[in-house]
Amino acid sequence: MLSDSEATELLSFLTPGTRPDVKAYATEYILGLSGHREGCRFLRSKPDLLVALFALTSDPSVAIVKDCYHIFINLSADETLHQVLVSDVKVLPVLLKKLLDPEYLFSDQICTILSNLTRHEKTCKTVFKVLQEEVGLAQLVEIFCTEGYNKMAKLHYLGPMLSNLTQLPEARNYMMDKDRCVVQRLLPFTQYQASAVRRGGVVGTLHNCCFDYAHHEWLLSDAVDILPFLLLPLAGPEELSEEENEGLPVDLQYLPEDKMREDDPDIRKMLLETLLLLTATKAGRQTLKEKNVYPIMREFHSWEKDAHVTAACEKLVQVLIGDEPEQGMENLMEVEIPEDVEEKLKKADTKEQQELEKEQEKRRQEEEEEKKSDAEQTNREQEKGQRE
Amino acid sequence: MASSAVQNDSDDGMDEFMDKFKTQRYKNAFTENNWEEEFNKVPMFMKSAPENLDPQKYPELACLQAMIHDEDRPPEEQAKSLKDEGNAFFKEKNYQKAVLSYTAGLKKKCGDEDLNTVLLTNRAAAHFHMGNMRSALNDAAAAKKIKPDHLKALIRGAQCYIGLRNFAEAIQWCDTGLRAHPTDKKLQELRAAADTHKRAAERDARKAKAKEKKLHGEKEALLAAIKDRGVKLLQSVKPRQQLGSDSEDEDEGSSAAMAQLSLDGLSSQEATGAQVFLDEQGSLRWPVLFLYPEHQQSDFISAFCENSCFTDHLLVMFGEELPPWDTDRKYHPQNLQLYFEDEEKETLYQVNPEMSLLKVLQFFVKAGTPSFILLVNDSLFWKQFLTGKKIQGL
Repeated sequence: MLSDSEATELLSFLTPGTRPDVKAYATEYILGLSGHREGCRFLRSKPDLLVALFALTSDPSVAIVKDCYHIFINLSADETLHQVLVSDVKVLPVLLKKLLDPEYLFSDQICTILSNLTRHEKTCKTVFKVLQEEVGLAQLVEIFCTEGYNKMAKLHYLGPMLSNLTQLPEARNYMMDKDRCVVQRLLPFTQYQASAVRRGGVVGTLHNCCFDYAHHEWLLSDAVDILPFLLLPLAGPEELSEEENEGLPVDLQYLPEDKMREDDPDIRKMLLETLLLLTATKAGRQTLKEKNVYPIMREFHSWEKDAHVTAACEKLVQVLIGDEPEQGMENLMEVEIPEDVEEKLKKADTKEQQELEKEQEKRRQEEEEEKKSDAEQTNREQEKGQRE
Repeated sequence: MASSAVQNDSDDGMDEFMDKFKTQRYKNAFTENNWEEEFNKVPMFMKSAPENLDPQKYPELACLQAMIHDEDRPPEEQAKSLKDEGNAFFKEKNYQKAVLSYTAGLKKKCGDEDLNTVLLTNRAAAHFHMGNMRSALNDAAAAKKIKPDHLKALIRGAQCYIGLRNFAEAIQWCDTGLRAHPTDKKLQELRAAADTHKRAAERDARKAKAKEKKLHGEKEALLAAIKDRGVKLLQSVKPRQQLGSDSEDEDEGSSAAMAQLSLDGLSSQEATGAQVFLDEQGSLRWPVLFLYPEHQQSDFISAFCENSCFTDHLLVMFGEELPPWDTDRKYHPQNLQLYFEDEEKETLYQVNPEMSLLKVLQFFVKAGTPSFILLVNDSLFWKQFLTGKKIQGL
């Protein structure tokens, strides 16, 4: 790594007044450093370098600004850098303010940085605090939900950022404020075709929100009506009977024959887990049963190929068709599990995971075999053809 | 009275004036009958403004009105008075008049933007209550243009869009409003309502599309089945001149005939709207007419399966009991002969009763309903009917 004197020299190249080519060289070099762990850790020890770099994000040269943002994206991906970035370089107020500018060219880079910074709870808390001071979560959601807010940036990475923020109870409470209209804005995006990042972020946010079962009744009520938006990505074009159709929520009735299901298995799994969370309370279970969630899951189960996702689906179906738990255990989230039972359950979980892995491996091997034998057959046929 | 004795004489004749009251009766007093009416004429006590102001009858009111509408007053004042006038009419639910007042106020073009916004919003409300959604919307939009955050204008605009069933716009307006007034209950309520309506309307559209598709599919299948069997459908009206290529006209004629099938399946007045259909086993069932020209009678079979033969039906219809119109008691199944008539070719084709309907339909079907003439073999009528006609076997 660089010596102290070399670092000082480098710093002198990062002033706004430096010759553009020298500046470019310096930032390129640091970009290279930020690409691997030792480089990042080195940079962590030199906050003045980082401060200078951050100032260069206002440089007139677009190429330099781009490099600088890249550096910060790399740095923010390393959790050990978070403290320095937030406290010494003080990136947050500047970044958040720039997000508001509908013409800012580098808003997407900012979103990525913020998404990285909110991944772990400690920095996430700081980000939320500064966010509420500078911009407000409501405004962030507003920007995220406004199509074409920024002509030059898609802002999809605000999705994962929101999802990360909602790991904090204070953010969840704000998101689910009954006196405002915040979480409702996010719902249509569970079906947003153009970006899996955005979709995943939204579903992740809803998933986190559903951990607070106190809000379940409100979430399932007409004021929010979260259920159809969780089910639509899982519903397919299969025709259901007239009776089953009429019992479904309005948005799921008479789906066209070209209806596609969610492409990404991780998002599918998250949707199922969110639905499962909503079955924690008796009222929630009742609502999901009444709204004919079971037929949707039945069709989904026949369609799903991924073992992990199928397992999640089966868990949900179990609750939907199973008996009501006995008295005192109606709220599944509040049930006290005795230690030895918990141990057993943990072991069973691990075993299930292992079995799922084995199954997937087996399937993969079978596919390989098929491909091989197909290839062999083709070879044989080709040989035959040649002989004839 | 004691006081008058003490009073001095004053110069202005006040004392004499006051003295008069002691001796004279009060004239022009209000009576039991007319006091309400009279009170109603006094501007202060009026319950409602009179429709057309007659200065003779209501001099004070005319005076006040003249003051209000005095052109010399600054436009802001005039506009404000007109606004108040409009509000008064609004309270009485006299929305027409309210609109007029507000419009007059806006015409003053006073520079007070707040006032103009209120005039527009109030006029929007008046229009809304009269059911003039478009006018109300225009006014709300104009108000919004002056003051983009004006809550009442945004609420009214959203309501108008809901009334006009443009739910997407309604939601947009609510969202705009919620940006400035995030906790407003009315906006949240309207947004939720518009959203619900929008999704219901989308469902209805999907349902209609699915139904149409199903019907279309069934129709196609039916036509295909009929075509497969080589049956030609003809319309009940005389066929048009065959111009140009045969196949094109045939298809047109076919689909036109099919269209006719759904309109009126029968030429007989006995049955109603019966139509050929494909049953669960994939066989066609036809509405069929049996005609008995001898007695001017007919029978209608609503769903004759193409695989059944005529004898089956004849046995049921004539086997046990003979119809009441058969006065000679001769229409026994074994005596009956079936024919169908090709009017164009002026030929009668004799049908073997043992044949299935399917075989016979290889010819043509008129007005979607095959009809057959039944005659009693060797009877007098039979002889008469067949005289002079071309007869062919199948």
